[in-house]
Amino acid sequence: MEKRYWKGVDELNNDPEFVRLRNNEFFEHLPLNETLQKKAESDSSTSRRDFLKFLGFSVAAASLAACDAPVKKAIPYVVKPEEITLGVPNYYASTFADGSDYCSVLIKTREGRPIKIEGNEMSSVTKGATNARVQASVLSLYDTARLQQPMAKKKRTEWNTIDAEITAKLAEQAAAGKKIAVVTSSMYSPSGKRALSDFIAKYPTASHVVYDAVSYYGMLKGNELSFGKSVIPSYSIDKAEVIVSFNADFLQNWLSPIEFARQYGETRKLRKGKRTLSKHHQFESMLSLSGANADQRHKIKPSQQSAVIASLYNKVAALTGGTSVNATSTPLDKSLDSIAKELVAAKGKSVVMSGSNDPNEQVMVNAINFLLGNYGSTINLDRTCNLKNSNDAGYAQLLSDMDGGGVGAVIFWNTNPAYTASNPKAFAATLAKVPVKISLSDREDETAQICDYVCPDHHYLESWGDAEAYKGSFSLMQPTIRPLFNTRQAGESLLKWSGNTNTDYYTYIRSTWNTSVFPMQNGMSSFDAFWNQALRDGIFEASFVIGGATSFSGNVAAAATLLAKPASGIEIAVYEKAGLGNGAGGNNPWLHELPDPITKVCWDNYFAVLPAYAEKMGWRQGTVIEVKVGNSSVKGPVLLQPAMADETIAVALGYGRTNCGKAGNNVGFNAYPLVSMTGGVLNYYATGVAVNKTVEDDYTFALTQTHHTMMGRDIVKETSLAAWLKDPKAGNPPELIASPEGPMSPEELDLWKTKDEPGFDRINHAWGLGIDLNSCIGCGACVIACNAENNVPVVGKDEIGRAREMHWIRIDRYYTSDTTKENAEEKGLGKLDMYGEMEKPASDNPQIMFQPVMCQHCNHAPCETVCPVAATTHSSDGLNMMAYNRCVGTRYCANNCPYKVRRYNWFKYSDNDQFPYNMNDSLGKMVLNPDVTVRSRGVMEKCSMCIQRIQYGRLDAKKEGRRPKDGEIKTACAQGCPTNAIVFGDFNDPNSQISELFKDERSYHLLASVGARPSVFYQTKVWNRTEEPVKNHHS
Amino acid sequence: MLRYVYRILTINVLALSLIVIFQTSAKAQPNGEALFKANCTACHVVGDDVVVGPGLKNVHIKYKEDWLIKWIRNSQALIKSGDPQAVKVYEQFNKVAMTSFNLSDDEIKSLIGYIKTTSEAAPAAPTPASGTEVAAGSGAEDGNSSLTLMLVTLTLIVLFVILNRVQKGLQRVADNRNGIPEPVKLTGKAGLKAWIRGNKKLIAFLFIAVSVLGSVAGWNALAGIGINQNYAPDQPIKFSHQLHVTQNKIDCRYCHSGAEKSKNAGIPSPNLCMNCHKYVKKGPKYGTEEISKIYEAIGWDVDAQQYTGKTKPIKWIRVHNLPELAYFNHSQHVKVGGVECETCHGPVGEMEVIKQFSPLTMGWCIQCHRDTPVKMEGNGYYSAVHEKYKEKYGPDAKLTVEKLGGTECARCHY
Repeated sequence: MEKRYWKGVDELNNDPEFVRLRNNEFFEHLPLNETLQKKAESDSSTSRRDFLKFLGFSVAAASLAACDAPVKKAIPYVVKPEEITLGVPNYYASTFADGSDYCSVLIKTREGRPIKIEGNEMSSVTKGATNARVQASVLSLYDTARLQQPMAKKKRTEWNTIDAEITAKLAEQAAAGKKIAVVTSSMYSPSGKRALSDFIAKYPTASHVVYDAVSYYGMLKGNELSFGKSVIPSYSIDKAEVIVSFNADFLQNWLSPIEFARQYGETRKLRKGKRTLSKHHQFESMLSLSGANADQRHKIKPSQQSAVIASLYNKVAALTGGTSVNATSTPLDKSLDSIAKELVAAKGKSVVMSGSNDPNEQVMVNAINFLLGNYGSTINLDRTCNLKNSNDAGYAQLLSDMDGGGVGAVIFWNTNPAYTASNPKAFAATLAKVPVKISLSDREDETAQICDYVCPDHHYLESWGDAEAYKGSFSLMQPTIRPLFNTRQAGESLLKWSGNTNTDYYTYIRSTWNTSVFPMQNGMSSFDAFWNQALRDGIFEASFVIGGATSFSGNVAAAATLLAKPASGIEIAVYEKAGLGNGAGGNNPWLHELPDPITKVCWDNYFAVLPAYAEKMGWRQGTVIEVKVGNSSVKGPVLLQPAMADETIAVALGYGRTNCGKAGNNVGFNAYPLVSMTGGVLNYYATGVAVNKTVEDDYTFALTQTHHTMMGRDIVKETSLAAWLKDPKAGNPPELIASPEGPMSPEELDLWKTKDEPGFDRINHAWGLGIDLNSCIGCGACVIACNAENNVPVVGKDEIGRAREMHWIRIDRYYTSDTTKENAEEKGLGKLDMYGEMEKPASDNPQIMFQPVMCQHCNHAPCETVCPVAATTHSSDGLNMMAYNRCVGTRYCANNCPYKVRRYNWFKYSDNDQFPYNMNDSLGKMVLNPDVTVRSRGVMEKCSMCIQRIQYGRLDAKKEGRRPKDGEIKTACAQGCPTNAIVFGDFNDPNSQISELFKDERSYHLLASVGARPSVFYQTKVWNRTEEPVKNHHS
Repeated sequence: MLRYVYRILTINVLALSLIVIFQTSAKAQPNGEALFKANCTACHVVGDDVVVGPGLKNVHIKYKEDWLIKWIRNSQALIKSGDPQAVKVYEQFNKVAMTSFNLSDDEIKSLIGYIKTTSEAAPAAPTPASGTEVAAGSGAEDGNSSLTLMLVTLTLIVLFVILNRVQKGLQRVADNRNGIPEPVKLTGKAGLKAWIRGNKKLIAFLFIAVSVLGSVAGWNALAGIGINQNYAPDQPIKFSHQLHVTQNKIDCRYCHSGAEKSKNAGIPSPNLCMNCHKYVKKGPKYGTEEISKIYEAIGWDVDAQQYTGKTKPIKWIRVHNLPELAYFNHSQHVKVGGVECETCHGPVGEMEVIKQFSPLTMGWCIQCHRDTPVKMEGNGYYSAVHEKYKEKYGPDAKLTVEKLGGTECARCHY
């Protein structure tokens, strides 16, 4: 059975523009003038003679100017901090907790500047994993849109003044018996909670309301109904053999995605004798990252989900002896039968999750897990998860209180309801009824805009803080830079207003830990020693006794009757994207430019629709439609997205910010109005949607995927677990080339001498990367990690549209289709038709494959031989080097690269007002890695395999007179990868992990038949599917 | 015959220049002076000023030689023994203990001798830093040599002209004798034309010479753009490496401690200066003027002997400027390679004002990488692969940095 891969809908539909452009090696629009014309700069045409004149003059001018070297100053510290050595980074353990993601991190600082975030391997929760948002958070520190001082009624003020005013007003409101509300996002900081309770003690009318834009209230309620306690349990996906997820995108957004991605990655590894894979079923309506990685993906409309869960419950109950409930039949019942069997077979080693915010659905899911005996093994109700604790009902109550005039003051801390409200205008009107409105936002965001006082919070890299992510799993947050602006920690503001005598948050946290955390350990007798240890590690793990058996006390039958019923007609599903999530970090250009893992669209959100459905509705890519749900209406463009459920429109939250800063304002549109409060909970899908087509029909997206054609060759290899168990080389047959002596391997047919060639015998090191396609989930953490490490510029939507993105690492996403050479004959297709059909998916549920592609560091590099100035050459340790200062920008190398990984600097992206991102202001430039050159216009660049890290690690080893240890040096992508799919190492070290992996039969080189002999290798993707094994297509 | 004359002249010129080159100014240093500079200058001057310890002018008159020997060897023991004179001195100078010096009697005597001569020679002024002498001396020598060369060239040109005339006269005499008539002297344009006709070779030679010299000069000028060898800007503090390195024998890495740990050697921060200058309040050349700039930077109130908290960073002028595109790591060279600081930075100990000694061009870097063998023994990093390199390049090959990949682009450019 053979498969064809296709790159996108454009190719699939033989879009005339695509057909015209696909024959060009580079999918881009020339000439350059188009870009220049937008500023009318090219009005005056410059002739060749003028050009020569200018050239002559500028050479002369440059020579003259160069004669007088500029005087550079060197200003040492007046008092150098003892721990700082210029040029040597310091690492500090800290915690990223923005209410949406939680991650224990290490902050790399250089000369007191945080420049890179790494995962903290000591954490038992995230275990060194990160995601794109965590990686990008360092850039938010240097955001010019941050407020630089407190503001009162839109005027700059001082802390003393604003504190006096606020304290007086709060006292006034409390005295009048008016309610005071502190609205926060999910709160799991012990000291933060203590500060809140201190505040409430001072103002007895005060209360704490937790409001998350993306709420898990339904889960809390569901667990309360099931087990009598309003908690979220901890999940151990790594212990699960069968994973069933109902629209829970646990690899990207759901609950604790960083932790789950690391756990999931472990279940997808076939290393060190491990010969089992988890089996992952995903039920969903839009194509999520988790769905793309699922072994079996089942498409359902959002409203069908409850019925499917009920049906699954009945089937599991039938097999385990539980009581069945009333359930309607669903079209998926046949699949559910086998899934139920799989689940029961893996009793105690499975996990069922639901992303729904409906408490009754969560009760059903809990019941399934309980029947399967998962509590106590893969799910733990004793080690509770504190990451999400929003209270939809409490927030709704607050809103109605505010409307009724009973609320005297409201404080918003790390929450932005004016943006996330279903009806922003109504929210503004409600808020206007509150006399005292205070925002602790770090910028004048949508909510701060309509507040009286803004008391800007520090960035987390400037803050002291703590977190208890799970019961007993504590972590600390410490400042890694002095506050850049006249801002103040939000907790400290509360302490001030509570009238605390000691408002120093550091001392406050210490005292919290001294009284409540320190007693949980018994190893150390001195608090100072304990504190220093915890601060150094960033974490503290308390041991606690796990309670007895879990008993399920929920009423399944009652819950089943309350479940949502399948609806007919168009439905809408809202979700979060990998980059922006809920939109809190909306001004981060790195995240905007991160191609969405699935759609590969940058700088936009859209209405994703199944192509067949779009055709039926008369929409095409770029058609702007208006979606109406109840009284809300949202306008946006259509994006054709294969694998969507029929009659379903999916749209991402987090876009359409209006007050977050210049990079993020008015990018995309706001989809929060489509989120409504139904049945006391926030509902993230809607039925009964009305859709109108507007006259606009030509919205363009900045897509990265179709730019880099692989000319129809197979680059991703896959097989099934069953086939792999039989033959470890399954799906990975050697690529042979026809020769007079019969088929030969590219190595044997090599044009180049290998052994005798100087430089090819790598004596010292032979660096390389191994990428396991089986554990790569395509999340994009590596892309942002690379951005931060290698000073990759942001180019903006316009330039991405011209295929000029600068990312050194891209993640290719391929859809597979079901027409194969074998079944084409059955269908009676001719050769031409067969290939035409192979470009179309036979079913509308294609499989998805991800493949990270960076410079392959070919040992016989095609780029090196064509460079006229020898700017790209090979090193004796196997790296393809790029000397920017030697490059003259002919781009021959990019033309000759079979992998299309070279990037050309069409413009100077730093200090250029055309690119108003972080490299254009002195504050944003502080994030730059001082060990990596900022490239200028007209030079080629590409992945250097983090040569600066290699050099640094090697030098460390040399200084200590030893060989570098395996794993000591890691590229940024490998270190940032949440699933450890990327491994860096030395092939010359026989004991290194990479040498071990390379020996594995799943290993292959990308386009091996080209004979470029890359230093990067991939490992076949192995699906755990019951269907027939798939074989790759070889032309 | 003339050829011989030219040849002799050429030899003369060469000989002259050799003489100029080998002219050296070797000066014998008296033992006492060397000892004084090595051991005493950190705290004392031969004058009236108190630096850390008292000024030593006429100290040979004030105290007996025997007592001085005892005091210098171990002042603390002398104080403890209750010697009244010793206790008096100790208390007079704020009870700052003087370091003990393990010197022989003769050495101390020569020291005292040096103090004696200096006290008599320079009654009031503190000893000038000898660095300035050296610098001034060498500068004068440079001037002398170029002046000599110019004189020689001028003499040669005059000689050439005279000989040319003599030859022409002789030719005329010979022509007359052979009956060749004297050519008619033409004037004006015609004369110039005739001269050109008669001297085609000379003109061609001059033309080629001028264009070649011009091109060479132009090339050199262009190639020198961005090369700031000998760049020695005036610094905000007239810090003398000569004084600190040569006289006070402070190791380079005491102040530039990053050299072994980091890519940057680092410019010391004023708090490091204060380790000594909290006590050393006066310099030998500029007195308190320059040292007070450190106090101003770090906010040290000299009178109150405490920090004020008002700091003002010192804005040094950067002397060694590598372009941003080049990566250089001090620790690789100093710690791993064992390269002496002076190899690249030159005789810093002789520099009154720090200057860029090396051209810092890529050619200069590469040349060293081509010539320098890697010290493989004793470093586990290299010894693990030493055999393999021997196998590749032969057992006796010089394993230079280049052979280990030290001239590859991405070692320094990324």
